[in-house]
Amino acid sequence: MNLLRFYGDHAREAFGLLGQHLVLVGASTFLAVLIGVPLGVLLTRRPAWRGPVLGLANVFQTIPSLALFGFLIPLPFLGGIGARTAIVALVVYALLPIVRNTYVGISGVDPAVREAGRGMGMTDGQLLTMVEIPLGLGVIFAGVRVATVVGVGTATIAAAIGAGGLGVYIFRGVSTVDDTLILAGALPAAILALIADGLLGLIERRLAR
Amino acid sequence: MTGGLSVSRTVGRLSAVVLALFGGACSHRDRIVIGAKNFTESDFLAELLAQQIERRTGLPVERRLHLGGTYVCHEAITSGKIDLYVEYTGTAYTEILKHPPIADADSVYRADSLEYAKTLGLTWGRPLGFNNTFAITVRRADAEKYGLRTISDVARIAPRLRAGFGYEFLQRADGFGGLARAYGLRFAAPPTAMDLGLTYRALAQGNVDLIAGNSTDGTIQALDLVALEDDRHYFPPYDAAPVMRTELVTRHPEVARALAELAGKLSAAEMRRLNLAADVEHRDIAALAREWLAKNLP
Repeated sequence: MNLLRFYGDHAREAFGLLGQHLVLVGASTFLAVLIGVPLGVLLTRRPAWRGPVLGLANVFQTIPSLALFGFLIPLPFLGGIGARTAIVALVVYALLPIVRNTYVGISGVDPAVREAGRGMGMTDGQLLTMVEIPLGLGVIFAGVRVATVVGVGTATIAAAIGAGGLGVYIFRGVSTVDDTLILAGALPAAILALIADGLLGLIERRLAR
Repeated sequence: MTGGLSVSRTVGRLSAVVLALFGGACSHRDRIVIGAKNFTESDFLAELLAQQIERRTGLPVERRLHLGGTYVCHEAITSGKIDLYVEYTGTAYTEILKHPPIADADSVYRADSLEYAKTLGLTWGRPLGFNNTFAITVRRADAEKYGLRTISDVARIAPRLRAGFGYEFLQRADGFGGLARAYGLRFAAPPTAMDLGLTYRALAQGNVDLIAGNSTDGTIQALDLVALEDDRHYFPPYDAAPVMRTELVTRHPEVARALAELAGKLSAAEMRRLNLAADVEHRDIAALAREWLAKNLP
């Protein structure tokens, strides 16, 4: 009830923060796909890099967000305060599922199919775009889905570095011990995560077919 | 009927269990439990008080450090989970007692003592000697370039500056809103809301030009920053003082006497040095407290 009244009084602000949140998640997931998918493909071509690269992505995931922000603030280009730094951090957190699933999706393609492609005289690039990626797409997309859903939750930490988003309500609520405020941020973030999961799940099932 | 009865019986049984738990804790406790908020200074002060109680009275003291914010400590002491902790007069006055901020240190302390004793069963000890107020802080280079010494000086050039504040400072009754009104502060853009700890780094790196830290933070010195004087006395006093359960004071008056020895002994400069030693040089707070007691209260 308190919560509804709160939204009634702060509708503009709440929608603004929701919008910022969507931009943060969208931009960071998009960039993570741009970086993560080629990286995952590269790992299938250079198996020796698999351990170090996945290990590093794993380590990135364990860095607490405030510590990561602390490291990022002094960096030129990537760092500072505001949305850019927050997106860099979110990309770092989103990389692991995307890289790993791309690698798994492509290396899971039936070797016989790959051989058939080679036999037809396909180059490595053709094999990748015409055989491996289409066949691995379901698994790759599952990684993107995980990254997005996790990202919706993780993006609440962007508020710690002045990037806004629904985390603003959570941080304000925590600092003033106001449960309504905490819920005002946490509840829409949870709903958003469920919606994103549902929608991406639908697409994933299409792709897997 | 039976339903109602069994519910009331369950409630009765539950409260009996709760009572037994608490009662058990009370009966064999001539153990004193001290709490602290979740930052270095609060932890250090709790350790200092604990050692002072132990060496003067011989009573064992259990430390429950880093509990959480003001609210958590307040709940813990009013419910008897802890017997004492160090609170700041202005924080109690505005955050707990919900009074609008006022500037006079004595009035705040008197009001706190009176109302805590009357309504909460808590007793304020004498202040330790320093005021940990909000410190409006800038880089030394800017302070020298623009000749900034007070917050009024900053108001002149505020439109050229970017500010970054923690969420609590932006929300508190004695926080940014009132400060901006009191000094007529207008920044280039609305202040960036961010994590308090990160504001120091953002200031040192030049991402923002002005923050609100705590005046006893060691980082002010470590990062070569300057805390500006609150020349219009906007911020209420935040004198650190022990808050004890009155029941503890009655049962063990020697505890209150031991703590009274600390009154006025710890200056802001000294507290800053201790915070610096703990935060930046990573010294052990128990060792720091021991050294301080040996030197100042032999």
